[in-house]
Order: sequence, then C-alpha cells, then structure tokens
Amino acid sequence: MEIMYLMIFLSLLMAIGFLIAFIWFVRTGQQDDLITPGMRILNDEKKTIN
Amino acid sequence: MMEEKVHTTLTSTNCFHCGEPFVDEIIEFEEKEFCCQGCKNVYELLNDHELGNYYTCDVNPGISPSNQNFDYLNKPAFRDKLIQFSNQEVSKVSFNLPSIHCRSCLYLLENLHKLNAGIIKTQLNFGKKDLSIWFKEKEISLGDLASLLAKIGYEPLLSEESEGKEKKKRLSQQTQLFIKLGVAGFCAGNIMLFSFPEYLGIEDGNLKNLFGYLNLVLGSVALFYSGSDYFKNIWAHLKLKKMTIEMPILLGVLVGYSRSVYEILSHTGAGYMDSVSGLLFFLLVGKWFQQKSFDFLSFERKYTSYFPLVITKIIQGNEETAPLSEIQVGDRLRIRNAEIIPADAILMKGKSNMDYSFVTGESEWIPIQSGNLIYAGGKHHGEMIEIEVKKDLQQSHLTQLWEQQAFKDPSFKMENWENFANQVGVYFTIGLISLATIVAAYWMQVDPSKWQNSVVSILVIACPCALAISYPFALGHGVRWLSKFKFYIKDIQALERMAQVDTLVFDKTGTLTLAKSEAPKSHLQRELSEQELDLLYSLSVQSTHPLSRRLCAYTQSLGTRNLVKLAAFQEIPGKGLEAKWGNITLKLGSAKFLGIHDKAPQDFFSSESQLFIQIGEESLGFWDFPWENRDGLEYMLRKLQHQYDVYLVSGDKASHASSLKDWFSSDDHMKFECSPMEKMEFIRELQAKGKKVMMVGDGLNDAGALQQAHVGVAVSDDHLHFTPASEAILQGQSLSRLPEFLQFAHKGLNLIKMSFLLSLVYNAIGLSFAVQGNLSPLVAAILMPVNSISMLVIATWGMNLYGKQVKSKLKSYTMTYIAEENHILSPDIKRTLQRSIEY
Repeated sequence: MEIMYLMIFLSLLMAIGFLIAFIWFVRTGQQDDLITPGMRILNDEKKTIN
Repeated sequence: MMEEKVHTTLTSTNCFHCGEPFVDEIIEFEEKEFCCQGCKNVYELLNDHELGNYYTCDVNPGISPSNQNFDYLNKPAFRDKLIQFSNQEVSKVSFNLPSIHCRSCLYLLENLHKLNAGIIKTQLNFGKKDLSIWFKEKEISLGDLASLLAKIGYEPLLSEESEGKEKKKRLSQQTQLFIKLGVAGFCAGNIMLFSFPEYLGIEDGNLKNLFGYLNLVLGSVALFYSGSDYFKNIWAHLKLKKMTIEMPILLGVLVGYSRSVYEILSHTGAGYMDSVSGLLFFLLVGKWFQQKSFDFLSFERKYTSYFPLVITKIIQGNEETAPLSEIQVGDRLRIRNAEIIPADAILMKGKSNMDYSFVTGESEWIPIQSGNLIYAGGKHHGEMIEIEVKKDLQQSHLTQLWEQQAFKDPSFKMENWENFANQVGVYFTIGLISLATIVAAYWMQVDPSKWQNSVVSILVIACPCALAISYPFALGHGVRWLSKFKFYIKDIQALERMAQVDTLVFDKTGTLTLAKSEAPKSHLQRELSEQELDLLYSLSVQSTHPLSRRLCAYTQSLGTRNLVKLAAFQEIPGKGLEAKWGNITLKLGSAKFLGIHDKAPQDFFSSESQLFIQIGEESLGFWDFPWENRDGLEYMLRKLQHQYDVYLVSGDKASHASSLKDWFSSDDHMKFECSPMEKMEFIRELQAKGKKVMMVGDGLNDAGALQQAHVGVAVSDDHLHFTPASEAILQGQSLSRLPEFLQFAHKGLNLIKMSFLLSLVYNAIGLSFAVQGNLSPLVAAILMPVNSISMLVIATWGMNLYGKQVKSKLKSYTMTYIAEENHILSPDIKRTLQRSIEY
C-alpha cells in the first residue's frame, strides 16, 4: 500500500499543475475574446477584386 | 421615379460599398456603382492599398463614411484621457467603433497599417467592438487617426465614458470570480476523490487520516478563498439587518465545515467536506453564469453622454474648441446646424428653429428669435448662431431631473422591491431553525447523544441551494435568449422584476411613433410636374407639423426646389394646410379636410400618416408616409391590454396622437404635454397606488420616468449606444414583440418556483434521515449534488424550451412580414430582418 502515498502525491501535483495553468491563462486574459480569433482565421492574405 | 428606386432589390441598384439604395446620383467607377463620393473614395483607397478583399468577405460590407473632424483630440485634455500607454516610439489607444458588423470589418481594421505607415499594429475585439491601435504619434496624430477611421466608415464613439479605468476594474472582478470558480472546482473534485475510501468503506487507519487532512486543507481553501464573497456579502446584509437567501446557505456550509473539522481532527469521522465544497462550486457556477454582461452596451448613461465632447467658444472674436466641462457662465458659444445646446443660454445672434423633442418629447420645432432664452438639450436647426451661457451645466433646466432621489440613491429600486429568492429565504430560514430547535429538544429528552448529530445534519442537508442555483441559471438563460431577440437586459434582477410588472407606460414620440423619415408611398393619380412639387414644397416648408416636415424633405430629395410665393397661408391644426397661388387654391392635409372622406381607405391606423393633395379643383390622391406609427403597434397594444394596465405619457400634443387613441382603454390612460418631471411624477403616482410599473421610452425626456419605474426599457433604433440609463435596451424593430418577451419572463419565474418545489422534495428526503440523527455522509454526498445538478438541468432545459417557443413565433411573424407586398422596406431593413430570422 506504500505506493498509494506516492501516487496520491503525484496525482495532487498534476492537478495543482493544471490549476496553476488555469489561473495563468485567466490572468493573462486568454479567454477575454473568444469571437475574433475564430473570424480572423477566415481572412486570406492579399487578394484583389476580380 | 422614386417608386422604382424603393421597390428594387439588393443586387444592382445599391451602392457597391455600403449597400444603401441610390438616392440622388449614381457614381460609376471601375464598373462599380456608388451612392456617394465618400463611398467611392473608400473603395479607391482600399483598392490602392490591396485591401480589396474587404468586399469579398460579405455583400456590400461598407458603411457610408463621415467627414467629422477629430482635430480636437490632439489637445492634451483629450489626448491624455484616451492614450492608454505611450513612450518615445509607440502609443496605444482603444476606440469603440459601433459600426463594426461583419468579417469584412475585421479584415479592414486589422490591416489598417497598410493604409498609413504610422500605424504599427491593430487588434480588434469583435464582441466589444473595440479596436486597439499601436501607432507612432510622430507620424500620425491621435486626431488624424480618428479621422482616418471615420473616413473609412468607422467613426469612433467618443463620450465621457471613453476613459478606460472603470471598465478595467470590473473586468478584473470577473477574472477573480472565474479563478475562484476554478479553485472551488479543483477542491471539490479532489475532495470527492479522497472521499472514495469512505464511500466504499475501506478501513485503513493511516490512509483515512491522510485523506482527512488533505480534505481539510482543500475544504478550507474552497470555503475561505472561493467563498470569501459570500462572507462579505452576508456581513454587509447583516449590518443593514436584511435577510438574503445566502444566509441559510452559509449557515449550513459553516456548520458542515465546523463539524468536519472536528471529526477529522478527532479522528471520529470523515465529515461533510465533499458536500460543502461541491455546493460552493455549484453556487459559484451560478454566480458566474449570471454575470453575463453586454460589453458593447451601456446601461448607465447620463445626460452628458448626449452632449458633444467639445464646444466652440468665441474668445475675442476667435473660435476656440474646449471640452464640455469647461463651459462657464458668460461664455459665448457658436452653435452650428443640428448641434445640441450644451447649457441654458440666451440666443445672441441669428435665428433658430429649436427641436426640444430630445428633452420634452414635443415634436414640433419652436422658432426662436435672438434675445430669447434657450434650454440645454435642444437641437438647433438653421443658420449658425451665437449664444451666451446663463447657467452652469449642472444647474440647467434639463439636468434638474438628475437631482431627483431616483438618480441620487442607487439602492432606490431595491428598497421598493423584494426578490422572490430573498422573500422565500426568510421563511425558509425561520422554518429551518425552528425545525432544528424542535428536533434538538426531542433528542435531548430521548437520547442526548444524538442531538448534536441531528442538528448538524438538518442544517447541512436542508439548504435552499435550489433557489441559489436555479435562480441565476434560469434568469441568466432568459437574459441570453432575449438578447438574441435584440432585447438586452442589464442583469437577472431586472428580468425578474419584469415578470412582476402589472402596468405598462409608453412614451409616444420615438417609442410608439417613429420620427425617422422613409420615402413615402405614392397613391397619386398621376406624376407631379416639377412646378407642382415646387408648390408643395413652398406650402409645406411653412408648417412645423411632423408630416409637413417630412413632405418638405421628400420634395427636396426629388430635386432642387424653388420657393414659390404663396398667399393667404393658413394652417388648421390637426387638419391641414391651405394657401393660394395666384387664384389657384392649394390644399394639403387629411381626407376629411379636403372633403373626400369616402375615397380614403377605411383603415384608421394609417389615416394619420396620409397626406392628401388638392391643387385647384383637382384631387391628386395622397402620399402615404409609412412608419409613422411603429409597425406591429396595434397588435402589441391590443395584446398587452389583456393582461396589463397600459398607459401613454407623451410630451407631445394630444392632436398628434389621434391614431393611437383607439388602442388605449380610455382617455385617462393617456397623458399629453408632460414635462420630463411630470412623466416621472406620473410613474410615482402609479407606484403609490401599489402598481408595479414598466416604462418604455426612448429619449432623455423619459430618463426620469425610466429611472423611477420598476423596470425602465429604453427603445433604440439604429444607435444602440445612445440610450438613457435604464434596466433594459430594446431595439425598435423588436418592440412589437414585447408581449412575448414579458410572457417569457413570466414563464422563467414560474420555472424557478417549480424547481423550488422539487428541491423541497429532495430536502424532505434528506431531512427524514437527518431528524433521526443518522444521515450518513454518503447520503449527503449523493443528495446534495443530485439536487444541485437537477436544478441546473431543469433551469437550462426549461428556459431553452421557452426561448425556442418565442423564436419560432417571431420567425413566423417575420416571414409573413417580409412576404407582404405592401410594405415598403428598404433593402437595409430587409437584410436586417432576414438576418434576424437566421440566428
């Protein structure tokens, strides 16, 4: 059963890693604008009117 | 000639750039047709800079450009306010561009650097309609930048609120809540995981203790970090000696937490950490959900938002621009055509036709000679005038309204209104505490070892979380659905209040009737000659009646008009105009006035907007000026009368509303010639009789009434950003669907009440264990999430169902509307309508 302690420790570590990642992306405003990037990708570069 | 233009379709007779139908002239350039020089210039500019792609993203994406001069932005007073960041090389500024509407806009605005070398980079936030620009101030000034945007059709919206500070603060609050939510989810999930051995009955002393301590740490983080807002909120309410629904919840959470701490530390059990943190997580989800805000709208407009940012002062004969706030008594100001008077003043030079519709609702212009007093908020029409300021902005006639209690005290509305959740919360708490006392007393007598256990279980399990969860979810979904129908509600409390309303008060001008002029529909027996048009122009130009003004503008739009000298001009109020040209009598007005009553269509609805013409002995027929009454008005008012007490308050004269009279139950339900203050007073009187009033208005003249009412709804037509402070903003075209929207709000509230009953059932099951003193953590761990999740599911599913019902109703309505041949719809409106059924 000793292995349980290590596994619990690791799983908690991983979960905390994800939590930190979550806090980081919220704080840096990565979910502030969810509309524009999706539209941006549709615009081609350089093209003149036919 | 006009007829053909109006009935045309989207394809060939519209401007290649902006899609507007041609009015006067068509400018051809490179085989494309443009409605004005401005549109052509934009096309040329874009094409020269290899931005032609703009036209391939959407059909006729452009907006007619404006030539507004933004040089005043270069003054330090404005520049420092707007620039967010600046060093030697680079400056950053954010503009709000309300005309952003499609992917083409995105394409153009993010390629701005191709138009001007001074622009380094641009980034658009489509949802907020905000454009951030990094630029070199040495190469392009702030004013030139704004002018460039206006020149390509995206005029920046600049107002007192343009400073970025307030916005940032709110944003960080949202971010904080989101992080708290994430942390609570993390804690709740892990606690459930660590509680597994307990659920499964695994007996391992060491492991159990370790899990217990881990749960203790995680649970404490969840409660004291994620739940910190609840403590603050309840403390604030306690100080006011007020009850909220959150009180019994926090009580249960705290009792459960303390019990768990005791059990874990004393190794006597696992406690209720999983239930406690799970509940906190769901509560936060609900809280986050209801925070949906419409970033592109402002519900807090003051009168200053309506005023120009700059004024033109005359100092020793020279013109100087200055910010609005620098107006002082005694200043001389120069006012141009269609500008708004910024303060109470005396007209010193020139003549003016003052349009006070903005302030009073009165739609007729008032001619003013020099030497007379004019009031702030009036719109000047005519030649350039000079005025001398008599009163500070804060003390002027218009701004007195903002000195009223309703404006000064932000909690004013809350005091007169209790929400359902808090009302129920009071009874719930009382019931809960008495039950706990009775059970405790019982066990004291029978088996003293059990009383603690049972009281704790009762407080933990019987939490009104259903209300705390279904309330934000149901109403949050409601706000979201209504926004799809162009009805934007400030917050969920406003939606709830909407469901409780029993009296509706409408404003007339701008709300029920449209001041906007559309091309009239001709029912003339023959084409009019140029000379006859000149005659009609000369006749109508002398009257200030709204219909005359529209005819006047219409004749001008058909070509250059010459003023003809007419004799014996007479205006018979409510009937029409009469004049003599040589010995020919000209008559213009209602069918009755011309004595051809039986020839007119029987439909009284449109009779107000029909203008009959008689030249000499010959009756020429009539013009129908559509949109005088907003479309679908009759349907709406008749439907609303079934359930609501419907009133009309107008600043206008009674004679301008004859077509509306039939739709209000009696004359005392209509009030005319009301000042803004009287409108507010009228609402107050209704409220004193115990009515819950919803005010629907548009202009500044309704601002007081909107603020006073339980729910203030501002109706707006094209500029969603130009509405007085209110709880909700409704786009004009959706006004006629108000009965459906109100019904939707009703259903939403009923759904909440039903889910509350269901949660009582869950509570009864849990309580039946709890009173016996043997609520196992497992039962609590199952019952509480099931309760929360079912509330969430019911709220989401129910509101989506109701929303779809409204949608299908609106769709069928719009389809028949488009199909009807006799509506003159400009292609623009047609497009909007078609778009509106596509969501």
